[in-house]
Amino acid sequence: MVTNQATFKRDGIQDWVSLRATAIIIALFSFYMTYIFISTPEITYTVWQEIFSSLTMKVFTFAALVSIMLHVRIGLWQVLTDYIKPAALRAGIQYVLNLIAFAYVAVGLFVLWGV
Amino acid sequence: MFFALLFVIWAWAVSLGSQQGFADVQVIMDGFIGKFVAIGTVSALTYHILGGIRHGIMDMGYWEELESGNTSANVVIGIWILLTLVVGVALW
Repeated sequence: MVTNQATFKRDGIQDWVSLRATAIIIALFSFYMTYIFISTPEITYTVWQEIFSSLTMKVFTFAALVSIMLHVRIGLWQVLTDYIKPAALRAGIQYVLNLIAFAYVAVGLFVLWGV
Repeated sequence: MFFALLFVIWAWAVSLGSQQGFADVQVIMDGFIGKFVAIGTVSALTYHILGGIRHGIMDMGYWEELESGNTSANVVIGIWILLTLVVGVALW
């Protein structure tokens, strides 16, 4: 079985499923935000805050951010293993990029907390 | 895509943080740089989602031949250009 560092279970099928499962959530969130931008006549600060103040939207947004973190963890691993051959360099880049992905989630959590 | 999120999440966080932050982001989004980054981000996301949907269809077993694969790839590029133009018109 192919093993890799991109998931905790470390098998290809888990990666395959996770990539698609998270992709669906991110796509749905993108479609919903597109719908909001198209259907809202004018987005003011009050309207903007109201959008993210409901519990449902907080959960949806947070789910999308966590999905992005997992999606990026697998997707960037695929890209980096294809194009960056020196293992130490790749490990370093992956470390930094996954850290940034985590920061996105952390920022999201605190922003949503405050709305 | 990944680095575009740096801008998206920054703009989102600042605009939700305060009235002043919202106004600041609004000024940036009205300027050329903001619109340029916006269309770049939306365009990349659109292409990624279209490519992703195509991959999903291929997972189901369709469009796996050379000819149908090429056609679907070209259709994706066509829809992507069209949608990017629509976004461009909406922005400017």
